[in-house]
Amino acid sequence: MKILSTSGKIIVLIIILSLISLMGYAIFGSRVNIKTSPLVGTVAPDFALKTFDGEDLKLSDLKGKTVLLNFWASWCMPCRQEAEALEKSWQKYKGKDVVFIGVNVWDENSNALSYLNKFGGGYPHGMDPNEEIQVDYGVGGVPETFFIDPSGNIRDKFSGPLTEQIIDYFVLKAQQPQNNES
Amino acid sequence: MTNSSTINTFILYTFLFMATLIALQTQSLAQGSIDDQVKEISALLMCPVCQGQSIGESNSNLAHDMREITRRQLEEGKSKEEILAYFVNSYGESILASPPPKGINWLLWLLPGVAIIFGGLGITLYLYNSQGNKTKEQDTSKKIKPEVDNDYIKKIEEELEKGDS
Repeated sequence: MKILSTSGKIIVLIIILSLISLMGYAIFGSRVNIKTSPLVGTVAPDFALKTFDGEDLKLSDLKGKTVLLNFWASWCMPCRQEAEALEKSWQKYKGKDVVFIGVNVWDENSNALSYLNKFGGGYPHGMDPNEEIQVDYGVGGVPETFFIDPSGNIRDKFSGPLTEQIIDYFVLKAQQPQNNES
Repeated sequence: MTNSSTINTFILYTFLFMATLIALQTQSLAQGSIDDQVKEISALLMCPVCQGQSIGESNSNLAHDMREITRRQLEEGKSKEEILAYFVNSYGESILASPPPKGINWLLWLLPGVAIIFGGLGITLYLYNSQGNKTKEQDTSKKIKPEVDNDYIKKIEEELEKGDS
């Protein structure tokens, strides 16, 4: 039984191939430019944080320094995994214009404090008072870490537990002058 | 004099009572309006940590935070578009329940229509062709029928002749 003429079949084939090409482009075409967050390459949203030590901390006061901004929670297992690497790296970069900041989210104050007592809290940590900082940074889960360069731009975002090597890679990258790779 | 004073006091209290009622009603209406707007905006934003749920439907901590931020921003006087833009800025366009029809997103809007048009065309063509074949078959059977009938009649006539003889 003949449903379509030869020319009809060719037209249908062309349409199908065009649609497949478009879908291929949609799936694979922009892969080269995929960023981990739409905020990468933009100015880091400013925030004020009251640390667990009672000090006031403001991101905009840290201009000229590389900032590692880590979002964590006491109930988060991958956060425990990365805690040692963060602590060691902080010791390594101390006094080298690299600032580590921990933002505790979706947590109880007492749980956060006992977590810090157990896993170390050498660098400043604070609780997001209005649970707004993590939304400003588009955080979807914990742990997530942002690397902010000395001029205040977000250079990278890393989701998942960090290791010392990953921290080194991104901190050094953030310290380099930004080329227009993105 | 006493009567006049009583009336004045009564009018004053009535006025104060009415003013309080109006103020409360206005506040309640404004609150209702913000609640409605929060609901409306929450339905337009997908929860980034959930499977196919809007922030209005999700009970996750993040969805709760996002609803609260939406409320705060509405109370600050921000428009729906400004609030949506804020979330898109943080999470990207994938946060929107219906992606805006631009760039490659056009595919999402066009493909269902294209599928319906081509599906409809395919079905129509199939039905048209199968109907045409049926008509052809009927025409052919009409042409054959008299021959069959003739053969049959011939056979009957032959049998009758045989019977007679």
